[in-house]
Amino acid sequence: MSDLVIETTGLRKEFRSLRGEVRVAVQGLDLAVPAGGVHGFLGPNGSGKTTTIRMLLGLARPTRGTMRLFGQAVPERLPQVIGRVGAVVESPKFSPNFTGRRNLMLLAGAIGAPASRVDEAIETVKLAGREKDRYKAYSLGMKQRLAIAATLIKEPDLLILDEPTNGLDPAGIREIRETIRDLGASGVTVLLSSHILAEVQQVCTSATIIGNGRLLASGTVDELLGIGTSYRVVVPDPAVAGQVLARAGFEPATIDGRLHVEAGDPAELTRVLGEAGIWLTELSPLRADLESYFLQLTEAEQLGHDAAADSEAVA
Amino acid sequence: MSRLLRVELTRLLCRRAVLVILVVAVAIPTVIGVATVLNTRPPAASQLAYAEEQAAEESQRKVYQRQFEQCLENPENFIGDQVPDDVRTACELSALPQPDWYVYYDELDLAAEDEQSGLAVVIVVAILMMLIGTTFAGHDWASGSVSNQLLFEPRRPLVWAAKAGVVAGLTGLFAGFVFTVYWLGLGVVASSRDLPVGDGILLDGLQSGWRGAGVAAAAALAGYALTMLFRSTVAALGVLLAASVAGGVVLAVIGIGSVWNPGLNIGAVILDGAKYWAEVPCTGGIEFEGQQCSVEKTLPIGRALWYLGTGLVLFAAASLASFHRRDVP
Repeated sequence: MSDLVIETTGLRKEFRSLRGEVRVAVQGLDLAVPAGGVHGFLGPNGSGKTTTIRMLLGLARPTRGTMRLFGQAVPERLPQVIGRVGAVVESPKFSPNFTGRRNLMLLAGAIGAPASRVDEAIETVKLAGREKDRYKAYSLGMKQRLAIAATLIKEPDLLILDEPTNGLDPAGIREIRETIRDLGASGVTVLLSSHILAEVQQVCTSATIIGNGRLLASGTVDELLGIGTSYRVVVPDPAVAGQVLARAGFEPATIDGRLHVEAGDPAELTRVLGEAGIWLTELSPLRADLESYFLQLTEAEQLGHDAAADSEAVA
Repeated sequence: MSRLLRVELTRLLCRRAVLVILVVAVAIPTVIGVATVLNTRPPAASQLAYAEEQAAEESQRKVYQRQFEQCLENPENFIGDQVPDDVRTACELSALPQPDWYVYYDELDLAAEDEQSGLAVVIVVAILMMLIGTTFAGHDWASGSVSNQLLFEPRRPLVWAAKAGVVAGLTGLFAGFVFTVYWLGLGVVASSRDLPVGDGILLDGLQSGWRGAGVAAAAALAGYALTMLFRSTVAALGVLLAASVAGGVVLAVIGIGSVWNPGLNIGAVILDGAKYWAEVPCTGGIEFEGQQCSVEKTLPIGRALWYLGTGLVLFAAASLASFHRRDVP
């Protein structure tokens, strides 16, 4: 039994216009989301994130490829697993003239969930007191919170959130991020689709980056950023320290009068310098910026995509 | 399935537009019924007295007196060959103005109402029920809540069927209730006026009402199915309007007989058969050879049901297949 909650292989989605033109939204995507934690699904606008999510949830049919949720093939076995999956796809979609609570009650009714669970979900997303207002009177943040409440009615094992902080004010963004972190910590696997890099960096434990419908990179956020492999070392005499480290097998570089050293384990650095009688005044990991990494990946992908398009045009 | 039916029924009844249409569907038959009752009410005593006065006054005019005298002299010219013993009374009735000449009213005739106000009520209510079907489905698409619903129940045929079942069931029951009350109301009024309601006359009206309820449910289902197919209330209503306005004309222009006119078939279902004119080769003489003559024919209810039922099943199948296959926004 796979411990992957979401698994896609060679997933492809084509859209055909009435004139027969084909637009490929997702091309051969292999996605693997392990159980537990918050997994970021990162990509620029139009990269195929929402289309992938919609295919996973049975709202769109893949042109090719296979998908699994909790090890079950979807969409064939979707009815068997949908009860474990909560999702907000793009913007929240409810009947505008019904109250927030009535909207949730109707959804709860479809799966036989008790009214108490609706009330709990309303409490969790901090909508208590406003649940009897009409949905159309809600602010965008309240609508997003109601959408998250709808997902909680199922008490899901997997939560798929597609750009959940879109259009929210800073306070709303913080609230939603806290809710997501809490859910991730409570054992729910969260797939957080976003184009906001800082959000993924702050909230997610692992991430998949896609561009033009293709997988660009995947792994833990630390792995993606290479955190822990490069350190800045501040010592009274960088030249001497550099020689010591070089003799110990490291490859130090001096940048702006500070040493930058690649090291798998920072304890090894301090031990070597300490044994040479050099005492550190600062040792800090050089945090790669996810934004830089993301832009580097997506720009490279875009260049490749454009080149392929040009060569097709020439051919 | 019962859970889904309950949810969809709640969703349907919670819609303000649906409630407004239901109120209108009660109000219009009420207005038609009240108008029918008022238009057929017997004259008041004062009106009768006035009419008798008018008749007596007019009878004194020379022209009527001359007619009366001619009648007494040659009663067979006025009364016919079977002249009664009381010639004077017969000539008074035949040659002199009578009070009912001056009182104008139609007696409430339940048998005739079947094809008049009864038919009108069924058609109006059926159109309103069709609106319920379109607005119910259209609202789900317009608000985008279909995708949300599918996240809770991904078996699309089941979702389609639950919505269809609720639309057809509610509209059919509601229309049946309205038509039953309508006919029972007319029956009570006719009884109070000592008019005939027996010999199955009232039952005929009730039965055409119940068949009309079936038509109303089918209309609602058709509206729902079309809206699920086009994913838009406006598009579905546009197609239905175009079909109702231009459908008959198009059939006539391309030479398809009136027996295929949906309106005629609907009438045949409600009224248990309908008359129509068909062009057939003339018979009865060499001089008519090669010519077409109009002949009145009857469209039986069975054939109308088959025709309309086939159309409804095709619409529903296309709608269900589309909902099952197409991506949901």
